[in-house]
Amino acid sequence: MSSLPDSRQLQQRFAQHLRTGVNTAIPGVAKDRLAHYRHAIFHMVKDTMESAYPVTCANIPARKWDRMVRNFFAHHACTSHQVWKLPLEFYTYAVENNWDEGYDIPYLSDLLAFEWAEIEVFNMEDVAPAAFTSTGSWMETPLVLNPEYRLLSFKYPVHREARRARLLKEQGAWFVLLHREPVSGHVQFTGLSPWLAFVTEQLAAGITVKDILEYAPQLGITVTAELENDTVAFLVDMQRQQFVLGFQP
Amino acid sequence: MVGLGFRREFAEEMISGTLITPDFIEFAPENWMNIGGYWKKILHRVLEKYPVLCHGLSLSLGSPEEPDKDFLRYVKSFLEEYNVRIYSEHLSYSKCDNAHLYDLLPMPFRMDAARHMATRIQQVQEYLQRPLAMEIISYYTPVAPEMSEADFINEVVQRSGCQLLLDVNNIYVNAFNHQYDAKAFIAQLPLDRVAYIHMAGHEQVSPDMILDTHGHPIADPVYELFEWTIRQIRPVPVLLERDFNIPQMQDLQKELTRLKSICHQQWKQHELVA
Repeated sequence: MSSLPDSRQLQQRFAQHLRTGVNTAIPGVAKDRLAHYRHAIFHMVKDTMESAYPVTCANIPARKWDRMVRNFFAHHACTSHQVWKLPLEFYTYAVENNWDEGYDIPYLSDLLAFEWAEIEVFNMEDVAPAAFTSTGSWMETPLVLNPEYRLLSFKYPVHREARRARLLKEQGAWFVLLHREPVSGHVQFTGLSPWLAFVTEQLAAGITVKDILEYAPQLGITVTAELENDTVAFLVDMQRQQFVLGFQP
Repeated sequence: MVGLGFRREFAEEMISGTLITPDFIEFAPENWMNIGGYWKKILHRVLEKYPVLCHGLSLSLGSPEEPDKDFLRYVKSFLEEYNVRIYSEHLSYSKCDNAHLYDLLPMPFRMDAARHMATRIQQVQEYLQRPLAMEIISYYTPVAPEMSEADFINEVVQRSGCQLLLDVNNIYVNAFNHQYDAKAFIAQLPLDRVAYIHMAGHEQVSPDMILDTHGHPIADPVYELFEWTIRQIRPVPVLLERDFNIPQMQDLQKELTRLKSICHQQWKQHELVA
Protein backbone atom coordinates (compact mmCIF):
# COMPACT_ATOMS: atom_id res chain seq x y z
CA MET A 1 0.00 0.00 0.00
CA SER A 2 1.42 3.38 -0.97
CA SER A 3 2.32 5.89 1.73
CA LEU A 4 1.84 8.71 -0.76
CA PRO A 5 -1.34 10.76 -1.01
CA ASP A 6 -3.74 9.59 -3.69
CA SER A 7 -3.45 10.90 -7.22
CA ARG A 8 -6.27 13.39 -6.73
CA GLN A 9 -4.36 15.15 -3.94
CA LEU A 10 -1.16 15.10 -5.97
CA GLN A 11 -2.93 16.69 -8.91
CA GLN A 12 -4.47 19.33 -6.64
CA ARG A 13 -1.07 20.21 -5.19
CA PHE A 14 0.52 20.35 -8.62
CA ALA A 15 -2.22 22.56 -10.08
CA GLN A 16 -2.39 24.78 -7.01
CA HIS A 17 1.31 25.50 -7.30
CA LEU A 18 0.97 26.37 -10.99
CA ARG A 19 -1.77 28.88 -10.23
CA THR A 20 -0.40 30.46 -7.06
CA GLY A 21 3.31 29.69 -6.87
CA VAL A 22 2.85 28.39 -3.31
CA ASN A 23 5.67 25.96 -2.58
CA THR A 24 4.81 22.32 -2.70
CA ALA A 25 6.77 19.09 -2.55
CA ILE A 26 5.59 16.28 -4.76
CA PRO A 27 7.69 13.12 -5.02
CA GLY A 28 9.37 12.74 -8.38
CA VAL A 29 8.70 16.30 -9.50
CA ALA A 30 11.79 18.22 -10.57
CA LYS A 31 11.70 21.83 -9.37
CA ASP A 32 13.02 23.33 -12.59
CA ARG A 33 10.46 21.43 -14.65
CA LEU A 34 7.66 22.52 -12.34
CA ALA A 35 8.89 26.09 -12.85
CA HIS A 36 8.70 25.52 -16.60
CA TYR A 37 5.00 24.66 -16.37
CA ARG A 38 4.25 27.65 -14.15
CA HIS A 39 6.13 29.99 -16.48
CA ALA A 40 4.47 28.61 -19.63
CA ILE A 41 0.96 28.81 -18.18
CA PHE A 42 1.38 32.31 -16.81
CA HIS A 43 2.73 33.58 -20.12
CA MET A 44 -0.13 32.00 -22.03
CA VAL A 45 -2.62 33.76 -19.76
CA LYS A 46 -0.72 37.05 -19.94
CA ASP A 47 -0.44 36.85 -23.74
CA THR A 48 -4.17 36.19 -23.97
CA MET A 49 -4.92 39.27 -21.87
CA GLU A 50 -2.50 41.45 -23.81
CA SER A 51 -4.02 40.40 -27.12
CA ALA A 52 -7.52 41.08 -25.81
CA TYR A 53 -6.69 44.32 -24.00
CA PRO A 54 -3.91 46.04 -25.96
CA VAL A 55 -4.96 49.57 -24.96
CA THR A 56 -5.40 48.72 -21.30
CA CYS A 57 -2.09 46.92 -21.17
CA ALA A 58 -0.23 49.73 -22.95
CA ASN A 59 -1.57 52.28 -20.46
CA ILE A 60 -0.70 50.47 -17.26
CA PRO A 61 2.88 50.20 -15.94
CA ALA A 62 4.30 46.77 -16.81
CA ARG A 63 4.78 45.64 -13.21
CA LYS A 64 1.28 46.65 -12.21
CA TRP A 65 -0.18 44.84 -15.22
CA ASP A 66 1.87 41.77 -14.38
CA ARG A 67 0.55 41.87 -10.80
CA MET A 68 -3.02 42.17 -12.02
CA VAL A 69 -2.74 39.12 -14.27
CA ARG A 70 -1.06 37.07 -11.53
CA ASN A 71 -3.67 38.14 -8.99
CA PHE A 72 -6.47 37.16 -11.37
CA PHE A 73 -5.07 33.75 -12.27
CA ALA A 74 -4.13 32.81 -8.71
CA HIS A 75 -7.42 33.76 -7.08
CA HIS A 76 -9.99 33.20 -9.77
CA ALA A 77 -10.99 29.71 -10.90
CA CYS A 78 -11.18 30.11 -14.68
CA THR A 79 -14.27 28.37 -15.99
CA SER A 80 -14.12 28.96 -19.73
CA HIS A 81 -13.24 26.05 -21.99
CA GLN A 82 -12.49 28.55 -24.71
CA VAL A 83 -9.33 30.60 -24.27
CA TRP A 84 -10.76 33.50 -26.25
CA LYS A 85 -13.42 33.94 -23.57
CA LEU A 86 -10.87 34.12 -20.74
CA PRO A 87 -10.56 37.94 -21.03
CA LEU A 88 -14.25 38.21 -20.13
CA GLU A 89 -13.47 36.47 -16.85
CA PHE A 90 -10.61 38.91 -16.27
CA TYR A 91 -12.92 41.87 -16.85
CA THR A 92 -15.61 40.41 -14.59
CA TYR A 93 -13.06 39.70 -11.87
CA ALA A 94 -11.78 43.27 -12.07
CA VAL A 95 -15.32 44.64 -11.65
CA GLU A 96 -16.24 42.25 -8.83
CA ASN A 97 -13.10 43.13 -6.93
CA ASN A 98 -13.37 46.86 -7.52
CA TRP A 99 -10.00 47.12 -9.24
CA ASP A 100 -10.84 50.67 -10.35
CA GLU A 101 -10.16 51.67 -6.74
CA GLY A 102 -7.80 48.87 -5.75
CA TYR A 103 -5.33 49.64 -8.53
CA ASP A 104 -6.21 53.35 -8.65
CA ILE A 105 -7.34 53.28 -12.27
CA PRO A 106 -10.84 54.82 -12.11
CA TYR A 107 -11.55 54.11 -15.80
CA LEU A 108 -10.22 50.52 -15.76
CA SER A 109 -13.58 48.74 -15.87
CA ASP A 110 -14.78 51.04 -18.69
CA LEU A 111 -11.65 50.35 -20.70
CA LEU A 112 -11.84 46.58 -20.18
CA ALA A 113 -15.55 46.59 -21.05
CA PHE A 114 -14.86 48.53 -24.22
CA GLU A 115 -12.05 46.26 -25.41
CA TRP A 116 -13.95 43.11 -24.48
CA ALA A 117 -17.07 44.28 -26.34
CA GLU A 118 -15.15 44.40 -29.61
CA ILE A 119 -14.09 40.76 -29.18
CA GLU A 120 -17.56 39.72 -28.10
CA VAL A 121 -19.35 41.40 -31.01
CA PHE A 122 -16.79 40.15 -33.53
CA ASN A 123 -17.13 36.54 -32.34
CA MET A 124 -20.76 36.40 -31.21
CA GLU A 125 -22.94 33.68 -32.66
CA ASP A 126 -24.90 34.69 -35.73
CA VAL A 127 -28.32 36.11 -34.90
CA ALA A 128 -30.92 36.14 -37.66
CA PRO A 129 -32.57 39.55 -38.01
CA ALA A 130 -36.33 39.97 -38.08
CA ALA A 131 -37.98 40.29 -41.49
CA PHE A 132 -37.74 43.80 -42.94
CA THR A 133 -38.55 45.83 -46.04
CA SER A 134 -36.68 48.72 -47.57
CA THR A 135 -39.66 51.06 -47.59
CA GLY A 136 -41.42 52.66 -44.67
CA SER A 137 -41.76 55.85 -42.67
CA TRP A 138 -38.78 56.84 -40.55
CA MET A 139 -41.17 58.44 -38.08
CA GLU A 140 -44.02 55.96 -37.94
CA THR A 141 -42.80 52.50 -38.95
CA PRO A 142 -40.96 50.40 -36.35
CA LEU A 143 -37.41 49.83 -37.55
CA VAL A 144 -35.54 46.55 -37.79
CA LEU A 145 -32.04 46.78 -36.32
CA ASN A 146 -29.05 44.57 -36.89
CA PRO A 147 -29.29 42.24 -33.85
CA GLU A 148 -25.51 41.80 -33.67
CA TYR A 149 -24.66 44.81 -31.52
CA ARG A 150 -23.89 46.07 -28.04
CA LEU A 151 -24.78 49.47 -26.63
CA LEU A 152 -22.34 50.44 -23.89
CA SER A 153 -22.35 53.26 -21.37
CA PHE A 154 -19.20 54.55 -19.72
CA LYS A 155 -18.15 57.04 -17.07
CA TYR A 156 -15.04 57.88 -19.07
CA PRO A 157 -14.65 58.32 -22.85
CA VAL A 158 -12.43 55.28 -23.26
CA HIS A 159 -13.58 54.89 -26.87
CA ARG A 160 -11.69 57.99 -27.95
CA GLU A 161 -8.96 58.55 -25.36
CA ALA A 162 -6.49 56.40 -23.44
CA ARG A 163 -4.41 58.97 -21.53
CA ARG A 164 -5.14 59.00 -17.82
CA ALA A 165 -5.08 62.76 -17.24
CA ARG A 166 -7.47 63.47 -20.08
CA LEU A 167 -9.81 60.63 -19.18
CA LEU A 168 -10.07 61.78 -15.58
CA LYS A 169 -10.97 65.31 -16.72
CA GLU A 170 -13.81 64.01 -18.86
CA GLN A 171 -15.81 61.97 -16.40
CA GLY A 172 -19.46 62.00 -17.44
CA ALA A 173 -21.96 59.89 -19.34
CA TRP A 174 -20.62 58.41 -22.55
CA PHE A 175 -22.26 55.96 -24.94
CA VAL A 176 -20.85 53.76 -27.66
CA LEU A 177 -22.63 51.51 -30.10
CA LEU A 178 -20.74 48.52 -31.53
CA HIS A 179 -22.27 46.51 -34.31
CA ARG A 180 -21.06 43.80 -36.66
CA GLU A 181 -21.40 44.41 -40.39
CA PRO A 182 -23.41 41.50 -41.78
CA VAL A 183 -21.25 40.76 -44.81
CA SER A 184 -17.67 41.58 -43.77
CA GLY A 185 -18.07 40.69 -40.09
CA HIS A 186 -16.12 43.83 -39.14
CA VAL A 187 -17.06 45.63 -35.95
CA GLN A 188 -18.05 49.29 -36.28
CA PHE A 189 -17.93 51.75 -33.36
CA THR A 190 -20.21 54.77 -33.12
CA GLY A 191 -20.04 57.29 -30.29
CA LEU A 192 -23.57 58.34 -29.34
CA SER A 193 -25.03 61.29 -27.48
CA PRO A 194 -27.24 60.37 -24.51
CA TRP A 195 -30.28 61.17 -26.66
CA LEU A 196 -29.24 58.90 -29.53
CA ALA A 197 -28.35 56.15 -27.07
CA PHE A 198 -31.88 56.45 -25.66
CA VAL A 199 -33.35 56.40 -29.18
CA THR A 200 -31.34 53.29 -30.06
CA GLU A 201 -32.51 51.51 -26.93
CA GLN A 202 -36.15 52.34 -27.67
CA LEU A 203 -35.91 51.41 -31.35
CA ALA A 204 -34.53 48.02 -30.32
CA ALA A 205 -37.67 47.58 -28.20
CA GLY A 206 -39.83 48.20 -31.27
CA ILE A 207 -40.88 51.80 -30.42
CA THR A 208 -41.31 54.18 -33.38
CA VAL A 209 -39.35 57.41 -33.69
CA LYS A 210 -42.60 59.34 -33.43
CA ASP A 211 -43.44 57.71 -30.09
CA ILE A 212 -39.92 58.25 -28.80
CA LEU A 213 -40.13 61.95 -29.64
CA GLU A 214 -43.52 62.21 -27.95
CA TYR A 215 -42.02 60.73 -24.79
CA ALA A 216 -38.94 62.95 -24.86
CA PRO A 217 -40.44 65.89 -22.89
CA GLN A 218 -40.90 63.54 -19.91
CA LEU A 219 -37.11 63.25 -19.88
CA GLY A 220 -36.74 67.03 -19.89
CA ILE A 221 -35.87 67.11 -23.61
CA THR A 222 -37.35 69.83 -25.76
CA VAL A 223 -38.36 68.42 -29.12
CA THR A 224 -37.49 70.76 -31.96
CA ALA A 225 -37.48 70.36 -35.74
CA GLU A 226 -33.69 70.23 -35.54
CA LEU A 227 -33.80 67.31 -33.06
CA GLU A 228 -36.25 65.46 -35.31
CA ASN A 229 -34.11 66.07 -38.39
CA ASP A 230 -30.90 65.10 -36.61
CA THR A 231 -32.49 61.93 -35.27
CA VAL A 232 -33.67 60.82 -38.72
CA ALA A 233 -30.31 61.80 -40.25
CA PHE A 234 -28.60 59.57 -37.67
CA LEU A 235 -30.85 56.67 -38.58
CA VAL A 236 -30.25 57.15 -42.31
CA ASP A 237 -26.52 57.13 -41.65
CA MET A 238 -26.85 54.00 -39.50
CA GLN A 239 -28.77 52.34 -42.33
CA ARG A 240 -25.79 53.05 -44.58
CA GLN A 241 -23.59 51.45 -41.92
CA GLN A 242 -25.88 48.39 -41.79
CA PHE A 243 -27.01 48.89 -38.23
CA VAL A 244 -30.53 49.90 -39.27
CA LEU A 245 -31.54 47.13 -41.65
CA GLY A 246 -34.95 48.47 -42.73
CA PHE A 247 -38.58 48.76 -41.74
CA GLN A 248 -40.92 46.23 -40.22
CA PRO A 249 -43.23 44.88 -42.97
CA MET B 1 -4.13 10.65 -45.59
CA VAL B 2 -1.83 13.41 -44.39
CA GLY B 3 -3.54 16.46 -42.94
CA LEU B 4 -2.66 19.81 -41.47
CA GLY B 5 -3.70 21.48 -38.24
CA PHE B 6 -5.99 24.31 -39.30
CA ARG B 7 -5.01 27.77 -38.09
CA ARG B 8 -6.51 31.16 -38.70
CA GLU B 9 -3.13 32.47 -39.82
CA PHE B 10 -3.28 30.43 -43.00
CA ALA B 11 -7.03 30.00 -43.46
CA GLU B 12 -7.15 31.89 -46.74
CA GLU B 13 -4.27 29.87 -48.23
CA MET B 14 -6.00 26.65 -47.30
CA ILE B 15 -9.24 27.79 -48.87
CA SER B 16 -7.52 28.82 -52.10
CA GLY B 17 -5.63 25.49 -52.12
CA THR B 18 -2.96 26.74 -54.52
CA LEU B 19 0.11 26.53 -52.29
CA ILE B 20 -0.91 23.85 -49.85
CA THR B 21 -3.06 20.76 -50.31
CA PRO B 22 -3.59 18.69 -47.16
CA ASP B 23 -5.85 15.64 -47.39
CA PHE B 24 -7.79 16.78 -44.35
CA ILE B 25 -7.69 19.37 -41.62
CA GLU B 26 -7.86 19.18 -37.86
CA PHE B 27 -8.84 21.77 -35.30
CA ALA B 28 -9.85 22.07 -31.68
CA PRO B 29 -13.62 22.40 -31.34
CA GLU B 30 -13.03 24.78 -28.42
CA ASN B 31 -11.59 27.35 -30.84
CA TRP B 32 -14.59 27.26 -33.14
CA MET B 33 -17.63 26.53 -31.02
CA ASN B 34 -20.25 29.23 -30.43
CA ILE B 35 -18.72 31.71 -32.80
CA GLY B 36 -20.35 33.52 -35.67
CA GLY B 37 -19.46 36.30 -38.05
CA TYR B 38 -16.30 36.34 -40.12
CA TRP B 39 -14.70 33.20 -38.71
CA LYS B 40 -17.83 31.10 -38.97
CA LYS B 41 -18.00 31.96 -42.67
CA ILE B 42 -14.34 31.00 -43.05
CA LEU B 43 -14.92 27.75 -41.18
CA HIS B 44 -17.78 26.81 -43.50
CA ARG B 45 -15.67 27.54 -46.58
CA VAL B 46 -12.83 25.40 -45.24
CA LEU B 47 -15.21 22.57 -44.41
CA GLU B 48 -16.63 22.63 -47.93
CA LYS B 49 -13.14 21.85 -49.15
CA TYR B 50 -11.61 19.47 -46.60
CA PRO B 51 -12.70 16.55 -44.40
CA VAL B 52 -12.25 17.42 -40.73
CA LEU B 53 -10.95 15.67 -37.63
CA CYS B 54 -11.22 17.30 -34.22
CA HIS B 55 -8.67 17.41 -31.44
CA GLY B 56 -10.03 18.58 -28.11
CA LEU B 57 -8.06 20.63 -25.63
CA SER B 58 -10.15 21.05 -22.53
CA LEU B 59 -12.16 17.93 -21.82
CA SER B 60 -9.59 17.23 -19.11
CA LEU B 61 -10.42 13.58 -18.66
CA GLY B 62 -7.71 13.13 -16.05
CA SER B 63 -9.25 15.79 -13.81
CA PRO B 64 -10.37 14.84 -10.35
CA GLU B 65 -13.77 16.41 -11.06
CA GLU B 66 -16.60 15.24 -13.33
CA PRO B 67 -16.59 16.25 -17.00
CA ASP B 68 -18.57 19.41 -17.72
CA LYS B 69 -21.90 18.13 -19.06
CA ASP B 70 -22.89 21.37 -20.81
CA PHE B 71 -19.57 21.43 -22.60
CA LEU B 72 -19.90 17.79 -23.60
CA ARG B 73 -23.33 18.51 -25.04
CA TYR B 74 -21.82 21.28 -27.16
CA VAL B 75 -19.02 18.98 -28.30
CA LYS B 76 -21.46 16.28 -29.31
CA SER B 77 -23.60 18.59 -31.39
CA PHE B 78 -20.51 20.21 -32.93
CA LEU B 79 -19.07 16.83 -33.98
CA GLU B 80 -22.40 15.83 -35.47
CA GLU B 81 -23.01 19.15 -37.22
CA TYR B 82 -19.63 19.07 -38.97
CA ASN B 83 -19.52 15.32 -39.58
CA VAL B 84 -16.24 14.92 -37.71
CA ARG B 85 -14.71 11.50 -38.32
CA ILE B 86 -12.24 11.29 -35.42
CA TYR B 87 -12.40 13.12 -32.09
CA SER B 88 -9.23 12.92 -30.08
CA GLU B 89 -8.23 14.20 -26.65
CA HIS B 90 -5.28 13.94 -24.27
CA LEU B 91 -4.09 11.53 -21.61
CA SER B 92 -3.73 14.39 -19.18
CA TYR B 93 -5.72 16.99 -17.28
CA SER B 94 -5.99 20.72 -17.73
CA LYS B 95 -8.50 21.55 -15.02
CA CYS B 96 -8.32 21.04 -11.28
CA ASP B 97 -10.47 22.30 -8.40
CA ASN B 98 -12.81 23.53 -11.13
CA ALA B 99 -10.18 25.90 -12.50
CA HIS B 100 -8.89 25.56 -16.04
CA LEU B 101 -5.12 25.91 -16.44
CA TYR B 102 -4.99 25.89 -20.25
CA ASP B 103 -2.09 23.48 -20.41
CA LEU B 104 -1.79 19.70 -20.60
CA LEU B 105 -0.57 18.56 -17.19
CA PRO B 106 1.15 15.24 -16.57
CA MET B 107 -0.91 12.52 -14.93
CA PRO B 108 0.59 10.68 -11.98
CA PHE B 109 1.49 7.27 -13.43
CA ARG B 110 -0.40 5.40 -10.72
CA MET B 111 -3.07 2.77 -10.71
CA ASP B 112 -5.78 4.92 -9.10
CA ALA B 113 -5.18 7.63 -11.72
CA ALA B 114 -5.26 5.10 -14.58
CA ARG B 115 -8.54 3.64 -13.33
CA HIS B 116 -10.03 7.08 -12.82
CA MET B 117 -9.06 8.21 -16.29
CA ALA B 118 -10.35 5.01 -17.90
CA THR B 119 -13.72 5.50 -16.19
CA ARG B 120 -13.95 9.08 -17.43
CA ILE B 121 -13.05 8.04 -20.99
CA GLN B 122 -15.71 5.34 -20.90
CA GLN B 123 -18.32 7.83 -19.70
CA VAL B 124 -17.51 10.25 -22.48
CA GLN B 125 -17.35 7.53 -25.15
CA GLU B 126 -20.77 6.31 -24.09
CA TYR B 127 -22.18 9.82 -24.17
CA LEU B 128 -20.67 10.72 -27.54
CA GLN B 129 -21.38 7.27 -28.98
CA ARG B 130 -17.93 7.10 -30.53
CA PRO B 131 -14.46 5.99 -29.45
CA LEU B 132 -11.97 8.62 -28.31
CA ALA B 133 -8.42 8.60 -29.63
CA MET B 134 -6.30 9.57 -26.63
CA GLU B 135 -2.99 11.33 -27.22
CA ILE B 136 0.14 10.49 -25.28
CA ILE B 137 1.25 13.98 -24.25
CA SER B 138 4.73 15.41 -23.95
CA TYR B 139 5.55 16.04 -20.30
CA TYR B 140 8.48 17.56 -18.50
CA THR B 141 8.35 15.92 -15.11
CA PRO B 142 6.91 12.70 -13.74
CA VAL B 143 4.54 13.11 -10.78
CA ALA B 144 4.97 10.58 -7.97
CA PRO B 145 5.01 7.62 -10.36
CA GLU B 146 4.27 4.12 -9.12
CA MET B 147 4.21 2.46 -12.53
CA SER B 148 5.86 3.02 -15.88
CA GLU B 149 4.35 5.38 -18.41
CA ALA B 150 3.78 2.48 -20.83
CA ASP B 151 2.02 0.44 -18.13
CA PHE B 152 -0.15 3.44 -17.30
CA ILE B 153 -1.16 3.87 -20.94
CA ASN B 154 -1.83 0.17 -21.40
CA GLU B 155 -3.98 0.12 -18.28
CA VAL B 156 -6.07 3.09 -19.49
CA VAL B 157 -6.49 1.70 -23.00
CA GLN B 158 -7.36 -1.79 -21.80
CA ARG B 159 -9.90 -0.60 -19.24
CA SER B 160 -11.56 2.09 -21.36
CA GLY B 161 -11.40 0.54 -24.81
CA CYS B 162 -10.21 3.85 -26.20
CA GLN B 163 -8.01 4.32 -29.24
CA LEU B 164 -4.56 5.90 -29.22
CA LEU B 165 -3.30 9.03 -30.88
CA LEU B 166 0.40 8.53 -31.29
CA ASP B 167 2.21 11.87 -31.37
CA VAL B 168 5.61 10.70 -32.55
CA ASN B 169 7.27 14.00 -31.72
CA ASN B 170 5.91 13.83 -28.15
CA ILE B 171 7.42 10.40 -27.73
CA TYR B 172 10.75 11.58 -29.11
CA VAL B 173 10.68 14.58 -26.75
CA ASN B 174 9.72 12.44 -23.74
CA ALA B 175 12.37 9.85 -24.53
CA PHE B 176 15.01 12.58 -24.64
CA ASN B 177 13.80 14.42 -21.54
CA HIS B 178 13.31 11.29 -19.44
CA GLN B 179 16.16 9.32 -20.96
CA TYR B 180 14.49 6.27 -22.36
CA ASP B 181 14.49 4.54 -25.71
CA ALA B 182 11.67 5.82 -27.88
CA LYS B 183 11.37 2.69 -30.01
CA ALA B 184 11.36 0.41 -26.99
CA PHE B 185 8.64 2.59 -25.49
CA ILE B 186 6.51 2.46 -28.63
CA ALA B 187 6.96 -1.30 -28.82
CA GLN B 188 5.31 -1.62 -25.39
CA LEU B 189 2.17 0.22 -26.49
CA PRO B 190 -1.04 -1.46 -27.70
CA LEU B 191 -0.27 -0.56 -31.30
CA ASP B 192 -3.40 -2.22 -32.64
CA ARG B 193 -5.29 0.64 -30.94
CA VAL B 194 -3.48 3.43 -32.80
CA ALA B 195 -6.07 5.36 -34.82
CA TYR B 196 -4.24 8.56 -35.58
CA ILE B 197 -0.71 10.02 -35.67
CA HIS B 198 0.52 13.55 -34.98
CA MET B 199 3.83 14.96 -36.16
CA ALA B 200 5.36 18.30 -35.15
CA GLY B 201 8.56 20.19 -34.48
CA HIS B 202 10.39 20.83 -31.24
CA GLU B 203 13.19 22.94 -29.81
CA GLN B 204 16.08 21.89 -27.61
CA VAL B 205 16.38 24.59 -24.93
CA SER B 206 19.11 23.08 -22.73
CA PRO B 207 21.44 20.08 -22.81
CA ASP B 208 18.82 17.96 -21.06
CA MET B 209 15.55 19.46 -22.20
CA ILE B 210 13.55 19.60 -25.40
CA LEU B 211 10.31 21.55 -25.61
CA ASP B 212 7.41 20.36 -27.72
CA THR B 213 6.86 23.75 -29.36
CA HIS B 214 4.97 23.07 -32.61
CA GLY B 215 6.99 26.05 -33.76
CA HIS B 216 9.71 24.41 -35.82
CA PRO B 217 9.92 22.03 -38.77
CA ILE B 218 9.84 18.31 -37.94
CA ALA B 219 13.35 17.23 -36.94
CA ASP B 220 15.08 14.47 -38.92
CA PRO B 221 15.28 12.02 -35.99
CA VAL B 222 11.51 12.41 -35.57
CA TYR B 223 10.99 11.55 -39.24
CA GLU B 224 13.17 8.50 -38.66
CA LEU B 225 11.14 7.48 -35.60
CA PHE B 226 7.93 8.07 -37.59
CA GLU B 227 9.14 5.82 -40.40
CA TRP B 228 10.00 3.08 -37.92
CA THR B 229 6.69 3.51 -36.08
CA ILE B 230 4.37 3.29 -39.03
CA ARG B 231 5.98 0.02 -40.05
CA GLN B 232 4.50 -1.42 -36.83
CA ILE B 233 0.93 -0.31 -37.43
CA ARG B 234 -1.88 -0.33 -39.95
CA PRO B 235 -2.46 2.83 -42.05
CA VAL B 236 -4.05 5.69 -40.11
CA PRO B 237 -4.42 9.43 -40.75
CA VAL B 238 -1.28 11.47 -40.09
CA LEU B 239 -1.37 15.13 -39.10
CA LEU B 240 1.25 17.86 -39.32
CA GLU B 241 0.88 20.38 -36.48
CA ARG B 242 2.36 23.84 -36.84
CA ASP B 243 1.10 26.41 -34.33
CA PHE B 244 3.89 29.00 -34.04
CA ASN B 245 6.52 30.60 -36.28
CA ILE B 246 4.29 29.87 -39.23
CA PRO B 247 6.51 29.47 -42.31
CA GLN B 248 5.75 29.99 -45.97
CA MET B 249 3.06 27.62 -47.22
CA GLN B 250 5.54 26.05 -49.61
CA ASP B 251 7.64 24.95 -46.63
CA LEU B 252 4.64 23.38 -44.91
CA GLN B 253 3.71 21.68 -48.16
CA LYS B 254 7.24 20.19 -48.35
CA GLU B 255 6.73 18.68 -44.89
CA LEU B 256 3.36 17.28 -45.94
CA THR B 257 4.89 15.83 -49.09
CA ARG B 258 7.70 14.18 -47.13
CA LEU B 259 5.23 12.64 -44.70
CA LYS B 260 3.07 11.39 -47.57
CA SER B 261 6.07 9.88 -49.26
CA ILE B 262 7.08 7.99 -46.11
CA CYS B 263 3.51 6.75 -45.59
CA HIS B 264 3.31 5.62 -49.19
CA GLN B 265 6.58 3.69 -48.96
CA GLN B 266 5.86 2.05 -45.62
CA TRP B 267 2.19 1.34 -46.12
CA LYS B 268 2.40 0.22 -49.74
CA GLN B 269 1.86 -3.41 -48.75
CA HIS B 270 -1.34 -2.50 -46.93
CA GLU B 271 -2.58 -0.63 -49.99
CA LEU B 272 -1.87 -3.67 -52.21
CA VAL B 273 -3.69 -6.00 -49.85
CA ALA B 274 -6.63 -3.62 -49.58
